[in-house]
Order: sequence, then structure tokens, then C-alpha cells
Amino acid sequence: MPTPILVVDDSSIARKMLIKALPPAWDVEITQASNGNEAVAAYRAGKADVMFLDLTMPDMDGYAVLETLQKEGLNSFVVVVTADVQTLARERVRALGAAAFVKKPVDPASIEAVLREYGIKL
Amino acid sequence: MTVIALTEDQRDALQEITNIAMGRAGALLAQLMGSFVHLSVPGISLADASNISGTIAQTVGRELAVTAVRQSFSGTLRGEAMVIYDERGCRNLADLMGYEDEVGQATERELLLDVGNVLVGACLNGIADLLVSPLSYSPPTIIAENAEVDRLINPDQLTWDYALLIQVRFTLEIRDFTCHLLTLMPEESISQLKKALDAFMESI
Repeated sequence: MPTPILVVDDSSIARKMLIKALPPAWDVEITQASNGNEAVAAYRAGKADVMFLDLTMPDMDGYAVLETLQKEGLNSFVVVVTADVQTLARERVRALGAAAFVKKPVDPASIEAVLREYGIKL
Repeated sequence: MTVIALTEDQRDALQEITNIAMGRAGALLAQLMGSFVHLSVPGISLADASNISGTIAQTVGRELAVTAVRQSFSGTLRGEAMVIYDERGCRNLADLMGYEDEVGQATERELLLDVGNVLVGACLNGIADLLVSPLSYSPPTIIAENAEVDRLINPDQLTWDYALLIQVRFTLEIRDFTCHLLTLMPEESISQLKKALDAFMESI
């Protein structure tokens, strides 16, 4: 069965770049969300075993998504994908339950590395 | 107008590229200031020369007196970048950078120029890298001190009718400090930029 994954970014170009950087052999069913509210809805619908989450988004940002997920039991492996490369940003999203942190622009090797590190079957 | 307007995809790509670039600039600012920096979603718009001051005032706010540092850049893309500090930001800058005593005006100016230079360099080099379009820069100069936002640019001295305006905002978490980085690229650069954006999109 394909793994349901969710790609969250307000930029369609950024979503496209991320999707292209996923390991080609990984059997996934991809859902896309362009803001935090859509992301939470897709998560609740069970479409996010793995979530690739941008931080800087209008309306509901990535931090708020993580907070909501935490309140709801965090049943997802969240990889934060962001241009915000401050050390504190990394620490904060970890504290909010994100499993991994990948910086933009994404490269396939770093995505594969975090997925393997956490034993996700590719 | 229609020729220079960005397509939806071009605008999206530019916004994402700017987002990545400002992330680098923000990390440097965080390091300089020892504080977490909140990054805004970049704003991209087409500015009309006759109305440029109003457009800038909308972003920066009219209430406060501002100090601004300007740098021009050239290469395949050319234009100007401005870092705008509000009054409180200026006052807090030396303190944030670890100067314990009251600093003189000369030192304060130097800090404004340095921080401006760091932000402009990191942000525009980030954009230039992603678009494979190297830039060179003029030294930064202070163009206004404690001035009204409306007086930053004299529309009569502009050599263009329309320019692409990219706006990003950095806000420090620990103290009252906000600065804006504005980039203006006049018409002839916009077509170069559009080409570079198309090439970038094809490469992904």
C-alpha cells in the first residue's frame, strides 16, 4: 500500500521542487496543501503518515500546524522544510514535535537521508 | 504594463526564491543580534514611479520617522536595494549588537550601514545564486535619517516609470526592532528577470 504523504507549502513551485526531490522508488500517495488549514484538514482525513511542512505561510503557518497536531496526538512523521535556517527555528520545531528539519532549496540526498534515518521504508 | 507583468508562475517562483534568500539573511541577522528573527512572507508588486512613496509607506507605515540605507546593484539584473529602519530600530541597534555605552552618531551610522550591507548582500546574492545571475554592488550610503517615509524617494529623479518591488520584513523577537528590505528593479531588468525565472522553473 502506498504511504499517504502530505506536502504543505504556499508556493506551488516549492511543492513541485519537494515532490521532485522525493526518492523515486518510494511508493507514495501525494496530497498537497497550500496553507495550514488545508494541511490540518488533510491530516485529519488520514492523508499524512509523512508530512513535509513549510514554516512561513500566510494565515496559518507551520508552527501553528505543529501546535494543532500536537494537541491532536501527533500521529504523523513531520519533516519541516524551510528557508528559515536559524538554529532556534530548528530547536523550536523539534520541541513542537517535528521529527526532522530540511533546508530549502531541498536536495534529494537530504530528503532520503532523513527518511532512512527514521527507518521509513523506501 | 502587460509585457512587464509577471505571470502567476513567475511570481510564485520569485516569491519562493526570495523566501529562500531572506532565510539566509535572517539567519545572519539573528547571529548579529543574538535573537530569533521572524521572517515575513515576501511581497511582490509592480510599482508605479509616481506612486512609489505611497507604496513604500503602505509597507513600512507612515507614523514613524525612518532611516534608510541604499545600495545599487548591477549585473544581468540591475536596480536598487534599500534597508529601512524605523526610529526605535535605530535606537536599539547599537544596544542589540552589544555596545554597552551610548554610541556616537558616527558609530551608529556605521552600524546601520553594516547591517544594511549584510542584509542586502545575503538576500540579493541568494536570489542571484538561484537565478545564476551574479551581481555587483555599490557601497551602501545613508539616504535619509529620521525622515518621513514619503521623502525617501523623489519621484522626479527616477529614471523609470515602472519597477518591480520586492519587500521583506525582519522582526526581532526579543526587542523592538523591525527593518524592511526593499528591492526595486526597473523595467529593463524585469524582462531579464522573467527570462531567468523561466529558466529556473525549467530547471526544476
